[in-house]
Amino acid sequence: MNNLKITIALIIAVMLQWTLRNVAEPFAYVDFPLIVVVYAALQRDAIKAIFFGTFAGLAIDALSGGLLGANAFTKTLLAFFVSELARRVYMDNLLLRIPVIAGACLLDDLIYYGLHRLFGQAPSGDVFVTVAYSLIGTTISGTVVYIILDYFLSDQTRSRKSDVFPKRRNSRRRNPIRLGK
Amino acid sequence: MVERSQEEVWKLTPWLVIVLCLGSFVLMAFDAREINSGQRIIRVWTQTAADFVQSPVTTLSSSFAGYFGSIANLRSAQDENQQLKQRVQELEVELKSGQELTSENERLRGLLGLREESKYKVLPARIIGRDPSVWFESSIINRGSMDGVKLNMPIVNDGGLVGRVTAVGPLTAQIDLITHDKSGVGGIVGEIGGTNALGVVGGTGKRTEVEMRYVPGSVEVQIGQVVHTSGQDGIYPAGLKIGEIVEVRSGSATTPQLIFLRPAARIDSMKEVAVLLYEPPPKGEFDQKIPNALKDVKAK
Repeated sequence: MNNLKITIALIIAVMLQWTLRNVAEPFAYVDFPLIVVVYAALQRDAIKAIFFGTFAGLAIDALSGGLLGANAFTKTLLAFFVSELARRVYMDNLLLRIPVIAGACLLDDLIYYGLHRLFGQAPSGDVFVTVAYSLIGTTISGTVVYIILDYFLSDQTRSRKSDVFPKRRNSRRRNPIRLGK
Repeated sequence: MVERSQEEVWKLTPWLVIVLCLGSFVLMAFDAREINSGQRIIRVWTQTAADFVQSPVTTLSSSFAGYFGSIANLRSAQDENQQLKQRVQELEVELKSGQELTSENERLRGLLGLREESKYKVLPARIIGRDPSVWFESSIINRGSMDGVKLNMPIVNDGGLVGRVTAVGPLTAQIDLITHDKSGVGGIVGEIGGTNALGVVGGTGKRTEVEMRYVPGSVEVQIGQVVHTSGQDGIYPAGLKIGEIVEVRSGSATTPQLIFLRPAARIDSMKEVAVLLYEPPPKGEFDQKIPNALKDVKAK
């Protein structure tokens, strides 16, 4: 059920990415598919996250003026990195996820730009300005989206937490005063 | 459903990443090659598939944005109404003088035996999508090869030149704007035949500014002059308005001037455009003998 919910979230994210720039220019600085891909990677299901990265990337590339496959490449790689990180470090805390989405966004932009330079394509605009705005936009939106996704997938979060931190057995303490008796 | 152990997943993941990244890399290489050769086949078909989703979503989101926009606009409607009434009166006076000029023009044309005809057919189109990546400025229109759109056809709106078609699918087409860094339009300052201030207009990455390069430093250019297409680039027809000069960094007899223009078309807020169904005249025999031209012909 939760797999279905994250898949629906990814489809919505791709659709928002396709259309929101038409409504207002600043939305271009928010990478919605990346937010969902990183979220999926943080769920410790590496294979699903990697496939999400590839398909979301291809869907964005299909309507972009950039190279077809560039977003797919960066998002696949990032899904792998984040899932490996989530495997080693416990990151179910929202505060810990904020630097992860910020780092993922920074890496995504730099790899994407590097790939285009490698193939002799020059993306428009100032690199530092674009990366900075993208970092701010994606990190803020990512935090909000993670709160929303956690709300909808709360059952999963709760059960996972109970797996990692099983409840302590509530054994009755014996009264130390009466120990001697 | 195959259940995999955690260890199996950890072993499988790096290989999966390598395969998918390699696939993406091959796609990129193929796409980069297609940019140089002209038609981008893979992109065209993925775009066509995406259109079935994108078109209705864009229509919905635009109508929502329009609805809320119209509510916001109600505030200024009264002032605007007053201004418009005043403007209507002014225009009525202008229209009368305009009608006189038109009839005079018709008489003179009749005398010269000229026939009134539109030079190029115009196909109206709607922008259904903007580039989802922040790094590029392309747009997608709701007209494709089934409507007669072909690669490199010029795109205009009521202001002037907007860009050209860079990929054509059966239902949609991708357009690159003149503000894109890599765009190049042959331009001339003033009217064709009036000056010899020829140059190349290219993007600066900003939507409100383009620059004109290679205009000789010895030619006098002034702020406020209009730049038109020269028709010498083999893509755009001559006489389309590109923009107005806003800044001139003068050169010398040996160094060219750098001229900044404000695009005539309001590129940052356009919703509707038109495709000029214009195809440049075929290259002459001399042009086709040039090695690069031969390479182009082979690629096609």
